[in-house]
Amino acid sequence: MHLQHIWLQDFRCYQEAELTLADDLTAIVGDNGQGKSSLLEAVSYLATLRSFRGVPTEALVRQGATASIVRAEGERDHRTLLIEAEISSNGRNRVQVNRQRLQRTRDLLGFLRVSVFAPDDLELVKAGPGIRRTYLDDTLVALNPSMHQSLSDLERVLRQRNTLLRQARGRLTTEIETTLDVWDTQLAQLGDTIATERVGLVDQLAPLLNSAYASVAGKPVQIGVIYEPTWLVEGLAEALARVRVEDLRRQVTTMGPHRDDVWFTVAGLPARTHASQGEQRSLALALRLAAHDLVSTVTGSSPVLLLDDVFSELDPQRSDALVASLPPGQTLLTTAGALPSGVTPDQTLRVVNGELFAV
Amino acid sequence: MSSYAAPVQDLIDELGRMPGVGPKSAQRIAFHLLKIPTEDALRLATAITEARQRVAFCTRCFNVTEGELCGVCRDERRDTTVLCVVEEARDIVAVEKTGQFRGRYHVLQGAISPIEGIGPEQLRVAELLTRLEPEAVTEVILCTNPNIEGEATAMYLGRLLQPLGIRVTRIASGLPVGGDLEYADELTLGRALQGRRDLETG
Ligand SMILES: [Zn+2]
Repeated sequence: MHLQHIWLQDFRCYQEAELTLADDLTAIVGDNGQGKSSLLEAVSYLATLRSFRGVPTEALVRQGATASIVRAEGERDHRTLLIEAEISSNGRNRVQVNRQRLQRTRDLLGFLRVSVFAPDDLELVKAGPGIRRTYLDDTLVALNPSMHQSLSDLERVLRQRNTLLRQARGRLTTEIETTLDVWDTQLAQLGDTIATERVGLVDQLAPLLNSAYASVAGKPVQIGVIYEPTWLVEGLAEALARVRVEDLRRQVTTMGPHRDDVWFTVAGLPARTHASQGEQRSLALALRLAAHDLVSTVTGSSPVLLLDDVFSELDPQRSDALVASLPPGQTLLTTAGALPSGVTPDQTLRVVNGELFAV
Repeated sequence: MSSYAAPVQDLIDELGRMPGVGPKSAQRIAFHLLKIPTEDALRLATAITEARQRVAFCTRCFNVTEGELCGVCRDERRDTTVLCVVEEARDIVAVEKTGQFRGRYHVLQGAISPIEGIGPEQLRVAELLTRLEPEAVTEVILCTNPNIEGEATAMYLGRLLQPLGIRVTRIASGLPVGGDLEYADELTLGRALQGRRDLETG
């Protein structure tokens, strides 16, 4: 979906705001804490139904308001599309497309797609496995919205299973055993599906990641992506049966897609421990670019690029390389400082304390 | 932080205990009830009292009823050999609307959900087992909701019932996944009933 207008109401620090987007590049400038990132967050909410800053959706509602409204008008397949979300402070959110209420919020997925570049993307390489799983899973949902159901089912089954394990207090009665069997069957089905999807995704991403890295770093280097859950060979059902005693003792599910890691190598060495800071930065950018590339190819339309203050973290050389590597398409970027040379916005807006001004 | 007069706060607290009613909604409903004409508010109070005093659960299937047995259980033309197992009594209304089912029901009064502290012991499972022989049940259709908890409950019952030599079927997929039975339209639910399959308990 190509965006034309955005309206916000009671979203973060915005009481009310409206903006018209350029076809290509819109830059949003302003000091920190004025609401630049919140604007991107609102757009990405319409695409992903959550905050890319990792806060619960209730936190998006402006202090003192009971609900925020985010509305975007744009074009898809030569048709005008109006998508709207009401984010409620009690967690019950609603969505509409062309003024028709959708039965479930997740039915909104797939109308708008975004690729978010955030300042803390370096964590994709440096931090624990959680953020890398999220990277894979977000890409899976962008490619196929029905994965959202499998992923939220997985979360739910794990919560139920872990609660049951705690209630068991380490003892395996017949009652607990039969109930545990039932959760294991569901967990195994979901786990096998999700891991298989992740394996397929990693295979698709690998070549794109290599060319994106070459473009950002300015020279080709062999980049590897490794996703090999130990349980995948035997299947999760077998693996869960094998670790059941351990799970009961620790009162938590120790095996499954929620514990997997995906990791990267630069020139054959693990990126997290052996790559230089510069290589890690290039890799983080390449990961975002590769996912964007894949989603564009598979879905046949480029996601809207949301660049949240990314240049402040990069040295001039890598900034220039990123600018040169960015694919064409609609882009929204925020910055607190100057833009790298070579970035010429079609439109610039200034944010001051939740209000937008044309520059 | 209670700043309301005690009776108002009591009303808010009671309303807040209702499923799906948060503190803010409870407050809104309470003040609505105080604003409307007295007779309207009393009519609601009477309806609650009447329902609680006159309606009980069917001693056989746990459907709501005014007598000992519910309308379905009293109806002699219904096929006693097929049982449709549902989570809540309101699901019976949904299945009845399809016109596709002529057997009897069994209401579990919930679904397995450790988070909510509900295990098989909290459900009407034992009561289900005692019905099988006297009513000569040959097929049990598991009509629990198509979500995680509904599936878990169906699977649990399947494992319990299949060794007893009873045919256990599950309503077909095609219902909105993750949803509640009560939201499915009659046509979809009717098709799901007709297309039911033997449960695979894995
Ligand atoms: Zn009855």
